[in-house]
Amino acid sequence: MAEGNIDRGSFRDPAGQVHLIGDRVFRTVMPMAAADYEAVRNRPTWRKLIDSGRVLPEQEVEPTVLGEAASEAVHVLEHPRLPHVSYPYEWSFPLLKAAALAHLELHMEALEGDINLIDATAYNIQFQGPKPVFIDHLSFRPYHDGEFWTGHKQFCEQFLNPLLLRAFLGITHNAWYRGALEGIPVEELNRLLPWRRKLSWKVLSHVTLQARLQQAAVEKGGKAEVKQRKLPKPAFIHMLRSLHGWISSLEPADTGKTVWGDYARNHSYTDDEVAAKKAFVAEAVRGFQPETLWDIGCNTGDYSKVALEAGARRVIGFDFDQRALELAYARAVDEKLDFLPLFLDAANPSPDQGWAQAERKGLAARRNADAIIALAVIHHLAIGRNVPLSEVVDWLVDMAPTGVIEFVPKQDPMVQALLRLREDIFPDYTEAAFLAHLRERAEVVDSRTVSASGRLLVAYRRQD
Amino acid sequence: MRFTWTVFAGLGITLLLTTSPAHAYLDPGTGSMLLQGLIAAVAGVMVTARMYWHKIKGFFGRGAEPKAHEKDDRDHG
Repeated sequence: MAEGNIDRGSFRDPAGQVHLIGDRVFRTVMPMAAADYEAVRNRPTWRKLIDSGRVLPEQEVEPTVLGEAASEAVHVLEHPRLPHVSYPYEWSFPLLKAAALAHLELHMEALEGDINLIDATAYNIQFQGPKPVFIDHLSFRPYHDGEFWTGHKQFCEQFLNPLLLRAFLGITHNAWYRGALEGIPVEELNRLLPWRRKLSWKVLSHVTLQARLQQAAVEKGGKAEVKQRKLPKPAFIHMLRSLHGWISSLEPADTGKTVWGDYARNHSYTDDEVAAKKAFVAEAVRGFQPETLWDIGCNTGDYSKVALEAGARRVIGFDFDQRALELAYARAVDEKLDFLPLFLDAANPSPDQGWAQAERKGLAARRNADAIIALAVIHHLAIGRNVPLSEVVDWLVDMAPTGVIEFVPKQDPMVQALLRLREDIFPDYTEAAFLAHLRERAEVVDSRTVSASGRLLVAYRRQD
Repeated sequence: MRFTWTVFAGLGITLLLTTSPAHAYLDPGTGSMLLQGLIAAVAGVMVTARMYWHKIKGFFGRGAEPKAHEKDDRDHG
C-alpha cells in the first residue's frame, strides 16, 4: 500500500487523496479536513446531493482497508469506480456546458442547505454516459454567513471563458485548454473580446471588470485592498443563478441546428451499404460482448448506437469533428444512451501532462475498452496524416483485445478526395498490406466487403 | 433586469469612490475578490435603502401592497 496507489490527479489536496487499489477507489479524509467533512456529512442536504445523482456516491469504510498508506486518515470513503475519466479539453461545447450547469446547480442546492463549495475546477466533473457527476467530496465545507465565492475566478477560467470563446468568437476551447490546463485566463479573454460584446453587463462584470480589477491590483504592487465585507447569501446565490441563466443560453457561434441536421444526413454511401455495415458491426459486438467499447471516429454516433443495441454496456466515442460531437451528445441525451462522445485528434491524442507529467493521464494510460470499432478512420490517418499503415493498425490493435476495423481502399471516393490535391505517395496503402499487418497481431474472425467501392470490414481478436 | 442595472450603476459609482487602502494580500484571484467586494457593497447599500424605504412607507401609513418589482428585488437581498 505505497504511494504508488495514490491517484496523481489528487496529490495537490492535503485534505485527502484518492487511492486506487485494484478495481476499488478510496478517498482519505485527513485530520485537517475531518471536522469540516463531518459537519457537511451531517447536514440533511448532503444525502440529497448524493441521492439525486449530482455527487458520486460514497460509503465510509474502515480506514484499515488502506493499511499503512492511510495511517493518518481519520475517515476513508469508498466510491464506485468511474467507467472512464475524461478532461475538459476532451469535451465538446455541449459537454463543457452541461458540466458548467451541473456545477452551478450543485452549488446552489448545496448553499440552500448551508454547504459551500471551496473551488470550481472542471476536473471535479466527470461523465457517466452524457450525464455529469461531481466527484470531489472534499471540495465541500460548511457555509459561513457572508463568505465570498472563492471559486469564482476558477469557474470563469475553467467553464465560462472557454464557452464564451466558442459562443462569441467561434473558436473551440480544446487546444488552448489542453495547453493551459487551468482554462482560459480572464485577462486574455478580455483582450480578445470585441468591444461590442463588453456592452453586456454579464461580460462586463465577469470578464472585463474582473480583469481590470486584477490588473489594478497588480499595478498597486500587491497593495490592493480586499475589503472585509460580507457577501449576503442571496447575492451569492444570485451570482450563481445569473451565470446559470447566461450559460444555458450560450450556443456555438458557428453552428446552427439545421447545419447539424444536414450533417447527420451527409453520407457518401447507399442505404444498403449502411445496412450491411451495421449488420456486420452488430454481429461482431454480439460475439465480443464488451463491457466498454471505444468507437474511434464515432461521428454522430450511428455505430455507437448499433454497438449498444448489440450488447455493449457503454460506448466512449472519439471524433475530431466538433459538429459531429455536438450531434452525438444530443443523441446520447435524447435517446438516453450510455454513450460519451469525446474530442480526439487521433494523430495527436491527449498526453500525460500537468505536474510531473502525471497529473492528467494521456489517452493510452486510460485505455479501458474491451473492444473497439474504427470505421472509416484508417485512411484519415494513413493518407490524411501520413502515418504508416502498419503503425495505424498497431495503434488500433493496442487499444483493446477485440475490434472491428474498416479498410477504405484507394479507389473509394473519400480516399480520392483526400488525394485530389496531392501526390499519391502511398504505394503500400493496399488491402493486402492492411490484412498482412493485422494478421501479424490478431486473428481475423470475420471479414466482409460492404460497399461497391470495396470497403472491407474486419473483425479480429488480438493475439496477446 | 432592473436589479442588474441597479448593481451595474452601483458598481460604477463604487468603483469610482473606493480608494481607501486596507489590509493587502495579492493572489491571482484578487480581481474576483475585489469584484465580489463591490457586489457585497452594492447589496449592502440596497438592503439599507430598502430598510429606509419601508420606514418611509410606514411613516405615511400602511401604503399599498408591494409592487411586483419590489417583490423581485427582495430575492436579491
